[in-house]
Amino acid sequence: MINLFEPLKIAFASLLVNRTRSLLTTLGVIIGVAAVITLVSMGEGAKSFILDQIRGWGAGTNFISVNPGEADAAVPELTLTIGDANAIKTQVKNVRYVMPEVVGRGRLRYGKKEYTPPFTLGMTEDFPYAYTQKVAEGRFFNKAEIDGRKHVVVIGKNTARKLFGEYSPLGERIKINGVGFIVIGVLEEKGTLLFYDMDDIAYLPISLTEAVLGTKTVTDLNVVVIDEASVPQAVTDITRLMTRRHGKQDFQVFTQQGGIDMINNILNALTGIVSAIAAISLLVGGIGIMNIMLVAVTERTREIGIRKAIGAKRQDIFLQFVMESVLITMSGALIGIAVGTLAAWGIMTWLKMSAVIAWGAAYLACLVAFLVGTFFGVYPAMRAARLDPVEALRFEV
Amino acid sequence: MSADGRPVVRITDVKRTYRMGTVDVHALRGIDLRIERGEFVSIMGPSGCGKSTLMHILGCLDRPSAGAVRLDEVDVDELDDNELAEIRNKKVGFVFQTFNLLPKLNAVENVELPLIYAGVGFDERREKAAGLLESVGLKERMYHKPSELSGGQSQRVAIARSLANGPSLILADEPTGNLDSTSGEEIIRLFQELNNKGITLIIVTHDQEIAEHSKRIVRLKDGLIVADEPVNNRRRAS
Repeated sequence: MINLFEPLKIAFASLLVNRTRSLLTTLGVIIGVAAVITLVSMGEGAKSFILDQIRGWGAGTNFISVNPGEADAAVPELTLTIGDANAIKTQVKNVRYVMPEVVGRGRLRYGKKEYTPPFTLGMTEDFPYAYTQKVAEGRFFNKAEIDGRKHVVVIGKNTARKLFGEYSPLGERIKINGVGFIVIGVLEEKGTLLFYDMDDIAYLPISLTEAVLGTKTVTDLNVVVIDEASVPQAVTDITRLMTRRHGKQDFQVFTQQGGIDMINNILNALTGIVSAIAAISLLVGGIGIMNIMLVAVTERTREIGIRKAIGAKRQDIFLQFVMESVLITMSGALIGIAVGTLAAWGIMTWLKMSAVIAWGAAYLACLVAFLVGTFFGVYPAMRAARLDPVEALRFEV
Repeated sequence: MSADGRPVVRITDVKRTYRMGTVDVHALRGIDLRIERGEFVSIMGPSGCGKSTLMHILGCLDRPSAGAVRLDEVDVDELDDNELAEIRNKKVGFVFQTFNLLPKLNAVENVELPLIYAGVGFDERREKAAGLLESVGLKERMYHKPSELSGGQSQRVAIARSLANGPSLILADEPTGNLDSTSGEEIIRLFQELNNKGITLIIVTHDQEIAEHSKRIVRLKDGLIVADEPVNNRRRAS
């Protein structure tokens, strides 16, 4: 059994003597590792941010969205209709809620105050149940009001503030694009979803969108099934039903899993690119380390001679130099991990998100650094181990 | 002479030839030498006579081109590099003209080096190294770096290091060459003390006065032994 502890101690001591040089030598490793760690930490942070947002909005794994347009269409043709939504609700098994969205712009007027929120949407009565959206004051509209084309509107907190200040808007009459409505509900605050203010919004019965917003085009259609297990069958059924209704598949069906997969794919592609750059950085760093180790072997020829004269074997000298090389790259990796994590944390804090420590990438970085240090340390260490003791002792610096 | 009659060193017809460019240099041209346990031998001769080469071969740092080397009952010319390293570690102690301490290590760490390569654990080797430093009178300088030690002190650390694994033989190459006469005298006195305790010593020197402190002088010239005689009026180091 070779004792690894003694050469490790010797290597560590040698490393400390040349602190600045060791640090500069390992800069390539530091940069490579830091780049990967920064990206992976940020990516993981962004992913959990996006997922948290989706979950916070209530869209769970039992959500299915139907988006208009063929799979490869640059500009989707908006062919979804309210009729499609009704068909899905009545004909597809295990469907609990269906929410077609008709997005338009509505100029809201209350007395002399006028305000146009970013979104005015036509919606069905399922909305507050499907999402974890509570109504803070009043209530959401019901099916009877949609069918009866009642002029009722539910608004977000920020929209309410803009029009009514701190007064309760319940029961107040407003005009949307000149048509009279009664405010029956104010939604609880939800914050932002992917940078959109979800509290600056107005919902009106979907049956009124054509008359009020001038459009009845469904921009997207969200379906909630009873549980996650029903999703695959529902996707098949929806696809079959819609294809039959439209005569062709001019729509796409997405599930939450699909969305998560897509985010993962983007992040993996990015990580792949940065990893490739990091690999080059590590390769260059490794060559730098080999170079400096060759210099170290030459500089310390006399030391090697002395060690050999008093009984160091080839393997003792070999291990000492390989370990020095490994220690240099490993410290580089550790510094890189620290720098990368700090950088990711700084950037993500600035973006008002939180970074996730990329443990997996950190372990991998340590492993790669170990391999780079070993690989590029072997040749100089072999040169050191093979030195002739008499020659080495005669060596003058 | 040793009572058991087994020599520490026995070399027979040893030759060593270097190739320098296209010219063969015959550093040793057929040396026979037998050194018994407890001897104190000086090897003398003008520079280029082959005394350093002989020293390297005796210390297993170099191999002869021809001839047999037997060290402490071991035929060293049959050993591989690792086994030679082990001989250097256990059976031979080197003392050099330029001390050859590792500058980054303190005195006790330098003395510990041969013990590290012998696989001795930390506590045991620290205790042993401290004891050796005490025996050469440097206990209070244990934690000083070589740069903080005088030449004489450095050489005493080197001697302590050479003794670490209880070698059969101490080889000293011009051990007083870099020292002033007072320090040199101290080192020679230390060698005489060690020899009195039974340690076999070989020193290479060109200084007749130093050589007269030993018990036997072997003179080399052009790679051959030209004289080998005991010292009659042996000097005592003051």
